[in-house]
Amino acid sequence: MRVKPSRVLLHLILATGALIMIVPFAWMLISSLKSHAEISAYPPVIWPTEWVWSNYPNAMGFAPFGTYFRNSLLIAIGHTVINLALATMAGYALARVPFRGRSLIFMAILGTMMIPTYTKIVPQYLIAKGMPFFGGNDYLGRGGFGWLDSWWVLIVPGALTPFAIFMFRQFYLSLPTELEEAARIDGMGEFAIFGRVMTPLVKPAIATVALITFENSWNNFLWPLIVTTRDDLRVIQVGLAAFQQVEKTEWAYLMAGSTLATIPMIVLFLFTQRYFVQGFATAGIK
Amino acid sequence: MTVTSLPAKAPAAGAPPGPTRAPRRRRRLGYERRRAAWLMLTPALIHLTWWIGIPVLATFVLAFTHYDVLAGTVTWAGLDNFTEIFADETWNTSILHTVVYTFFTVPVAMALAVVIAVLLNAKMRARAWYRAAFFLPHITATVAIALVWMWMFEPNIGLFNAVLAMFGVNGPAWLSDPDFAMAAVIVVSVWKGVGLKMLIYLAALQSIPPETYEAADLDGASGPRRFWSITLPLLKPATFFVFVVSMIDAFQVFDQVYVLTPDGGPANATTVMTFEIYRTAFSEFRISTACAQSLVLFAFLLVLTVISRRLTGKDDDAR
Repeated sequence: MRVKPSRVLLHLILATGALIMIVPFAWMLISSLKSHAEISAYPPVIWPTEWVWSNYPNAMGFAPFGTYFRNSLLIAIGHTVINLALATMAGYALARVPFRGRSLIFMAILGTMMIPTYTKIVPQYLIAKGMPFFGGNDYLGRGGFGWLDSWWVLIVPGALTPFAIFMFRQFYLSLPTELEEAARIDGMGEFAIFGRVMTPLVKPAIATVALITFENSWNNFLWPLIVTTRDDLRVIQVGLAAFQQVEKTEWAYLMAGSTLATIPMIVLFLFTQRYFVQGFATAGIK
Repeated sequence: MTVTSLPAKAPAAGAPPGPTRAPRRRRRLGYERRRAAWLMLTPALIHLTWWIGIPVLATFVLAFTHYDVLAGTVTWAGLDNFTEIFADETWNTSILHTVVYTFFTVPVAMALAVVIAVLLNAKMRARAWYRAAFFLPHITATVAIALVWMWMFEPNIGLFNAVLAMFGVNGPAWLSDPDFAMAAVIVVSVWKGVGLKMLIYLAALQSIPPETYEAADLDGASGPRRFWSITLPLLKPATFFVFVVSMIDAFQVFDQVYVLTPDGGPANATTVMTFEIYRTAFSEFRISTACAQSLVLFAFLLVLTVISRRLTGKDDDAR
């Protein structure tokens, strides 16, 4: 038998580490419910004597967190739905149908996965700004603001990730050919085989891709930051950052806003941990 | 990568699906399948070309031209943009800051991650809970959680300096002190980054067969000895993968820098390359200059990936 370190020590180390990871979340929650006197007290009050739930409605009075929240939710759902639709189709085509140029296309998609954000973001902005016929632009995309400050720019560019295509291709590849052939002999069309026979079999991949897409979209900051200026189009992360720069010292409200911006993902993660872990462990890519 | 080595399951183009079918039917079927495949693939290809392919090419083109935003004209500039950015003191400092940030964040987070993964790679109670705790920071929004750290780093009534005061240490002003701002950003990033790296290591550890350790057990090798001589070498592909992904991430750090230290931090102590690109492109609208800066960042990532590939051996497929 191998010599194991004592279980107690192991748990002690891991519990200490886990505690360090959790402290900021706990501090965020506690601070969001502190009264004005207690949050500015020194030394800090660890456990509040009164829990001020009205911090949440008050914070929403300072900044439209409800709108931010709704925007983030709509965009995240939009990204998830579109990504699932486009990426399952593309992944299926790349995995199950032999055609000329298939491996070349697949290699190109792998290549796009490796492209860093900053190697594309400036022209992406220009493309959005120069979208013809939108936002006062002429047919050449000049004169107006194009897609800037619109739902289009918040949803369309980020709606498909090469990572999702890659994931689905891997899952479709692992399905047996017999199923497909049996369905074909039964006279099913190619799209029905894709939608009704094969796709129901990759449900774990759908869950994983859906969760990771939702998470990335919900947490995304840079793109919404650069393409929106209107307050009613702000997503929660951008709204929160803007709120901080105006109300630098309203810590209770800031923590209430942070809680609103993190709680949906935390809850989602705790309930669907398995799919998240599987997705990140197999792909390891953000 | 795992992907490329997988054999294609479907038969090659034109191969007979079954011996009983007539050739004409077979040809029609192949045509129908290919048509369906192209229909399914086209939306994705258009999207990727439009939003990734063209932008990447455009970054390269714009970096070597003068692009006038207002007039919409593009004129050849050669290396002008590059000589311009390297004459800029702030940009050069931002490169240094990025390197310093990466140099401290990546190895520290990786070392912590591999240790935690090894500790977690045993059957024990509450394992899933520990894993969730370490991974939680990765899935929460950087902006929101950076605000929480900002609150903890608050110099007068924040948690950190209160704890330090208990030990008689007079805490610094952290984010508004040029000597400590970068350190604070690094602490947040290590905290946030450790979970994903741990998870990749954990997946790699679980693929190591237990028999591997048998010889070491016979020799009576100690725990740390087994870790150095067996586990770490076997984790080499995972390490390469984690290293490259972490470095690409670290070189592109933006969210926490933007939130924790707005406007580049005290005395520009935390301007990183991405922040300068952001500033050049989206508040000064010097598009071509920003593209040249983006290419410098890209070159760094490329060179670092190639070097780490050399250092850890060629095969990254087992990861």
